Amino acid sequence: MKIMVDILQLLLLILGAPLVRGIIARFKARLQKRRGASIWRPYVELFKLLRKEDLTPPTSSAVFRLAPVLLFGCTVCVAAFIPVAHVSALLGSRGDFFLLVYLLGLGRFSLSLGALDGGSAFGGMGASREALISSLAEVPFLMGLVALAILSSRADITGMVAWTLHQNIFNISTVHILAFTSLAMVVLAETGRMPVDNPTTHLELTMIHEGMLLEYSGPSLALIEWASAIKLHAMLALLIALFGPWGMAAGGSGWGLATALLLYCAKVTVLMVLLSVIESAAAKLRMYLVPDFLGVASAVSALAVIFTMWVKR
Amino acid sequence: MLLLLPLMIPVLGAGFILLFRNPRFATRAALLVGALEVLALGAVIWQVHLQGELQEGRYLRADALSAFFLMSIAFVSGIVLIYSSGYLRHTGEGRFSSPRWFYALVFMFLFTMISVCLSANLGLLWIMMEGTTLASALLVGFYNTEGAIEAGWKYLIVCTVGIAFALFGTIVLYLAAVKAGMSPASGLDWISLMNAAPGMALDPHLVKLAFVFVIVGYGTKIGFVPMHSWLPDAHAEAPTPISALLSAVLLNCAMYALMRYDVIVSRTVGPAFSHTLLLIFGVLSMVVAGLLILVQRNLKRLLAYSSIEHMGIIAIGLGLGGPLGLLGALLHTFNHSAAKSLLFFGAGNVRHNMGTLRIDGIQGISRTMPQTSAALVVGGLAIVGLPPFSLFISEFAILSEAFAQAHYLVAALFLIVLSVVFGGFAYHLFRMLCGKPGRRPENARLIPSEYISMGIAALCVLYFGVRIPHFFNVLLHEAMAVLR
Amino acid sequence: MGLVGIATEKILSSFSVFLFLTIILLAVARRISTSVLLFSLQSAIITAEVLATGFQEKLASAYLVGILIFVIKVVAIPRAFFVLTKRLKTVHDVKASTTPSQSVFVVAVMIYLSYAAVHSYGGAVRAPGDSLAAAIALILTGAFLMVSRKKAVMQVLGLLVMENGIFLAALLTTFGMPLVIEIGIFFDILMGLLLMGIFMFRISDTFEHLDVSKLRRLRG
Repeated sequence: MKIMVDILQLLLLILGAPLVRGIIARFKARLQKRRGASIWRPYVELFKLLRKEDLTPPTSSAVFRLAPVLLFGCTVCVAAFIPVAHVSALLGSRGDFFLLVYLLGLGRFSLSLGALDGGSAFGGMGASREALISSLAEVPFLMGLVALAILSSRADITGMVAWTLHQNIFNISTVHILAFTSLAMVVLAETGRMPVDNPTTHLELTMIHEGMLLEYSGPSLALIEWASAIKLHAMLALLIALFGPWGMAAGGSGWGLATALLLYCAKVTVLMVLLSVIESAAAKLRMYLVPDFLGVASAVSALAVIFTMWVKR
Repeated sequence: MLLLLPLMIPVLGAGFILLFRNPRFATRAALLVGALEVLALGAVIWQVHLQGELQEGRYLRADALSAFFLMSIAFVSGIVLIYSSGYLRHTGEGRFSSPRWFYALVFMFLFTMISVCLSANLGLLWIMMEGTTLASALLVGFYNTEGAIEAGWKYLIVCTVGIAFALFGTIVLYLAAVKAGMSPASGLDWISLMNAAPGMALDPHLVKLAFVFVIVGYGTKIGFVPMHSWLPDAHAEAPTPISALLSAVLLNCAMYALMRYDVIVSRTVGPAFSHTLLLIFGVLSMVVAGLLILVQRNLKRLLAYSSIEHMGIIAIGLGLGGPLGLLGALLHTFNHSAAKSLLFFGAGNVRHNMGTLRIDGIQGISRTMPQTSAALVVGGLAIVGLPPFSLFISEFAILSEAFAQAHYLVAALFLIVLSVVFGGFAYHLFRMLCGKPGRRPENARLIPSEYISMGIAALCVLYFGVRIPHFFNVLLHEAMAVLR
Repeated sequence: MGLVGIATEKILSSFSVFLFLTIILLAVARRISTSVLLFSLQSAIITAEVLATGFQEKLASAYLVGILIFVIKVVAIPRAFFVLTKRLKTVHDVKASTTPSQSVFVVAVMIYLSYAAVHSYGGAVRAPGDSLAAAIALILTGAFLMVSRKKAVMQVLGLLVMENGIFLAALLTTFGMPLVIEIGIFFDILMGLLLMGIFMFRISDTFEHLDVSKLRRLRG
């Protein structure tokens, strides 16, 4: 029974990902006084891409063809760690947060290699920028999670979520506020949203993530786009699970799960609105300011870890 | 009732002076108010001498230490007012820059400084110390030139930050008092703190912390070395009478505030802690300022660094303690005021006649301005501590105390710095006095206001070196008794 | 305990978190108007703290002081700042001498130092350690802002943040000093700000800018 629930959670994360992307794009359009595309557009696009032909550059090797698959696999694994409506996940107790961070890193690494292998200049440029950002984002990501791990004395995500569920929602915790700030900044950097990267840019010189996709087509491109949508959805779900999990079902009752699912949808909607507002309000940072942005995130996460020293346990 | 007089006269006088738009009438009104003020202060001092101490309400109190400092304030403000009556003939009109604003601001400044000396409550003391910064900031920036504004801004910011630290120290002391069982209302009252001091020894850390913040905070106003950055600028860019007031009165008031705290802390945790800190800051100020005197190029900045050095000497006297050290320190506050005023007055004359204060731009004034040069020579010899001038007596007392307590390092540094300063002053003065006069000043004769004020200061410096008047001596010893 | 009582307790036990947030945000703020708003927010938090203390300790004077702080530091002073920056036609940039991430690191170190200081003076005070550490961190941050921001307006703001910290420390440890002294302190601060305003006008008139790092004529 538990396995069924966990698989359903995973499917929700995977299949709901393009919808999340569509809703965010629609919110942004509305904020910018446009009408915007339909929220189901990303699905249409994925189907379109799956039917197309997969062209590969003549100079590329197997790396180019394997990279999207590896990326998709890693991202699905990451999504399997995150509890959504029930305080458990498919791979929940089999790995800790280090594994989560580095699975994401493995996915990014494979995409960078694929982009480099594609042989185009923009692939190389995007890959090097992505490498810079991801290496800088790794520190605050890990430290924010370490702070939470120290507080909850558990290393796996589901354990941390379970601990948080037991806390009183009205006790304001400095560590959590600081960790949330730094993890939110990391999410912006990891998923390639403004102000770090513009997901809708057409100018190659401002591309980071988009630059790496330029050579891909057909099903490979579909896999990459889907993987990045899943990453966004999974990161939002991670933020919700770590910082606002109240309402999650602990038992297996149908009603409990249904309410938990509804609550989850509400929380994700809030985060999506917040993300749209931030993306519309912030200007894209120039490349040399991105390390500074991530430096602030690192300092805040370091402070979060330091604060765990003074929290009464 | 009597204590309110020296406080109300400057405030009401300031308002009164602002009514006169004509500079001549404003000057006469200022002299009148000044005379009244000196009389009022004299009356207070006499009453304190007769009665031991005066108390007015909960916040005002005058004991022998206050009376001693009030005497110094009365003397210096008197001669400064006489000097400014003539000095301001060179200033024009402007917003906040006319003679009547000058006098009004000077009297507000005097009001705050006198309130510092008359406060019974450490909180009121703090408020009035902050008030002195505020009252004198506009005076420092009086000329509205680039240098004056920069100096005024730096003065305002640095001193406000310093005073904020002193506030923190005051709060910590209040906390220690309340914790030791004193009632909140009397936790800042100096006399109550003195009486309850042994009880506060239960928590020495808080009291020590308080003193550290207070010495850093009020030390900024005194001009101790790491915190002295505002002093040379402010004293150099301010109008001459204001420089004299700053050097001769303000620094003394800040030292007075520090003395009050020193006594409380000594009674609570023993004299070693506070006296060590005083010695450290004193020696540091004296050495650094003394050495920097050698490389000065501006006459008033030279005098400003000399003030820092002398404040260091006073701090050393206080830090050594003992009868001679205390006598030397208190006497030095007065002697330094007299000599420094004389020097600043001479510098003011030099500036008006030669147009510049740069030492290498001034030559041969012994021939072109003989009276002013005489004043500068007398002041210079006095300030480096040569006999028969008064500063010799006070510095000798402090030095004897240093030897008596076997602080040989302090005594050695003292002597070395004094010799270096002597050399520096001699060098700079000779460069100014001798040589071919570059520019013939139009009017080198001193007007009455100038030679009266400079004459009084010079006479004081000379006379006190030979014999300290009896009444002054009595007051001095009463003040010392308060500090034990 | 009624709702007010619960709210008071929550305020007293957790307001320091929000003070730390304002401190960090002040470190990264890039515009003068943002910094002034953050200062206003800080003062509002401190007002809430004062009123909560007054409610809990049943001190009437605390209410008066709280109202004073609100009127002066949350309303009057920020408005004066906005009017001043408009009249002085200053550029909005804060002109920090450190990048935002360096500033946040410095602030993080200062927060750590303030906690260390509070722990070493451990049982000397009644206040919860968090709040006292927040007060000391405010003082250190004010000093840091004064040193690292090159606009005259920001120097004054740093001074005000320092005063906030000192006032908060006084409030937490002694639950307020005699009322007359508190009013005197406020009066002093107001006069000080008035004078700084006058000076800023003079600086901008004479020097055509408000960059204090360029005020370096007097040296030695």
